[in-house]
Amino acid sequence: MSTVDLAVQLGTLRLKNPIATASGTFGYGLEFAEFVDLSVLGAISIKGLSLRPCHGNPPPRICETDAGMLNAIGLQNVGVEAFLSEKLPELDRLGATVIANVWGDTEEDYCAVVERIGAERRIAAIELNVSCPNVVKGGMVFGNDPVALGALVRKVREIAKRPLIVKLSPNVGDIVSTARAAVDNGADILSLINTLVGLAIDLERREPKIGFTTGGLSGPAIRHVAVRMVWEVRRALPKVPIFGIGGIEKAEDVIEFLVAGANAVQVGTANFRNPSVSAELVKGVAEWCAAHGESRVSNIVGTLKTRPRPEHTYA
Amino acid sequence: MAVNETLRVLRTLRYDARHFSLFLQAGTIGPQAQPGQFAMLQAGDGWRPYLRRAFSIADVTTWRGVPAIEFVVKVVGVGTETLGRVAEGTPVPVLGPLGVPFPIGDLGPGDRVALVAGGIGLAPLVLLARHLSEKGIQADLFYGGRNESEILKRADFERLLGPHHCRYASDDGSLGRHGLVTELFEGALAGGTRFRRVYACGPVPMFRALAGILEEAKIDGSFAFESAMACGFGVCLGCVAPTADGRFATICREGPCLPPSAIDWSRL
Ligand SMILES: Cc1cc2nc3c(=O)[nH]c(=O)nc-3n(C[C@H](O)[C@H](O)[C@H](O)COP(=O)(O)OP(=O)(O)OC[C@H]3O[C@@H](n4cnc5c(N)ncnc54)[C@H](O)[C@@H]3O)c2cc1C
Ligand SMILES: Cc1cc2nc3c(=O)[nH]c(=O)nc-3n(C[C@H](O)[C@H](O)[C@H](O)COP(=O)(O)O)c2cc1C
Ligand code: FES
Repeated sequence: MSTVDLAVQLGTLRLKNPIATASGTFGYGLEFAEFVDLSVLGAISIKGLSLRPCHGNPPPRICETDAGMLNAIGLQNVGVEAFLSEKLPELDRLGATVIANVWGDTEEDYCAVVERIGAERRIAAIELNVSCPNVVKGGMVFGNDPVALGALVRKVREIAKRPLIVKLSPNVGDIVSTARAAVDNGADILSLINTLVGLAIDLERREPKIGFTTGGLSGPAIRHVAVRMVWEVRRALPKVPIFGIGGIEKAEDVIEFLVAGANAVQVGTANFRNPSVSAELVKGVAEWCAAHGESRVSNIVGTLKTRPRPEHTYA
Repeated sequence: MAVNETLRVLRTLRYDARHFSLFLQAGTIGPQAQPGQFAMLQAGDGWRPYLRRAFSIADVTTWRGVPAIEFVVKVVGVGTETLGRVAEGTPVPVLGPLGVPFPIGDLGPGDRVALVAGGIGLAPLVLLARHLSEKGIQADLFYGGRNESEILKRADFERLLGPHHCRYASDDGSLGRHGLVTELFEGALAGGTRFRRVYACGPVPMFRALAGILEEAKIDGSFAFESAMACGFGVCLGCVAPTADGRFATICREGPCLPPSAIDWSRL
């Protein structure tokens, strides 16, 4: 088992294994240090940072769904300054590989955060969240429109001094067109998917269960949408490095994303149910590879065998 | 320090169709637990319900000589119903102890405090009563419920605090005062009893009324709040309540025990 090579390469970003944690589901990483040795994870993507601290949306912010949950947190965060001075040194001491997830209301906001991060060596990559469905401004506007997205990515790429990940929204008609817009304008890596917009209703009150009305659906309920989107992007853009995200709970789920074409994954909502799950998945993936005679996890990537789709026939 | 461990069910004790006590092995969580803290329990196989559920650590005790944690649960939906049906010996994933406990370290002999419970809000007050009685601090319980059968664990409270220090109110008059627990408490204040601090757990309307009474009487309070929770340890930011200083505080990490003055009641 120890002979399995778990390392993966995403452009210039080299990870010791393909298990990362997803933004907004892993706090600033430090909250998990009681449950997980952060240094065993491929990477951690921390809660979306904005230039100034943000209070987020009024409650209720979450509700459970079948096989998942809806959330409309509204990007509450401590701001990039406090993150860099108060959290990053400790994350570095604990040996974490840190991805800084960033967002803004405008192009200028995004650029200001990226500029502030600068060439900070303790940040392995920057992940642009252009796909948050839970804020009135910004966020999804960029994620839905390939032209606006392309312009934003180009501006950020000019100033970013770390590898640039663009996190795509699934709330689009064609994921390939936003993926292409991001890559054509300088994204080094794509991550997909963010949450799917959903609505849950309290029938007694006939009110939305979430204060923001709609929320982002996450968890196992969305996994097969995510796997399909990873596969579509992999087919259209064979070279681009991809983080697959959505509903991962077990080692087999990770393998499924890799087979569909992801080079690595990010584990999200599962961290809430079981705070040790990310480290357990690192072991689980190694065990799966060993049991299946795979000596290198990267050999699994994009190995899906599809059959030609038949045209329909009439009686 | 919070622990993520699997604890076996020792026993389920039913009070009525909607209330039960669940006794789990104490594990390493039990000995660390402070009054007011809670744990996140996975009910069932993890698919329905999907998320863990929050329950106050009601007591740290023993069952047939085995160290145990007791949870007192009211059945309100799929998770609590599933937990009520788990067989003895079933392993339950538990994360705890979590959250800020009731502040009791500053109390000393001579202090007198009040415990105010509404409905299932009795749960965190049992362990609190135990710790207070061990410290020799005089405490009075004011406990309101719908009816006599929903006013639980009276024998435990009366043993720990003394029967004369336990007063009840019920909506239907079947036990104690016919009316609200806050009226019962106000009666004690009007009778001249002075409390150093009031510890409370119950529904929001009770909290709201009690917060007003305490502010008026200038009495310190610590309320154990509830909120829908996904993680229980401060990372999802889903469980927040509006604070008096214009922020949102996580009930799971900055609470659940908070002074009522910390909350912006107009936005709650
Ligand atoms: C810190 C904390 C300590 C708690 N301690 C206890 C305890 O000791 N004993 C106990 O019985 N319960 C306690 N609760 C409440 C308990 O967590 C909920 O009753 C439980 O999550 C409901 O799960 P369910 O699947 O049965 O209900 P669901 O199917 O999820 O919901 C059913 C109904 O219950 C309501 N509900 C859901 N979650 C909560 C909640 N957190 N608070 C109030 N109403 C809710 C829903 O709005 C819905 O109307 C505590 C909650 C918190 C946050
Ligand atoms: C409570 C919550 C908060 C989130 N916050 C962010 C965020 O700040 N930035 C971001 O890019 N994605 C955020 N996400 C999306 C997740 O990173 C992930 O893309 C999504 O939840 C799907 O993965 P999952 O099904 O494994 O959770 C959040 C998700 C949840 C559930
Ligand atoms: S329940 Fe997740 S932050 Fe409180």
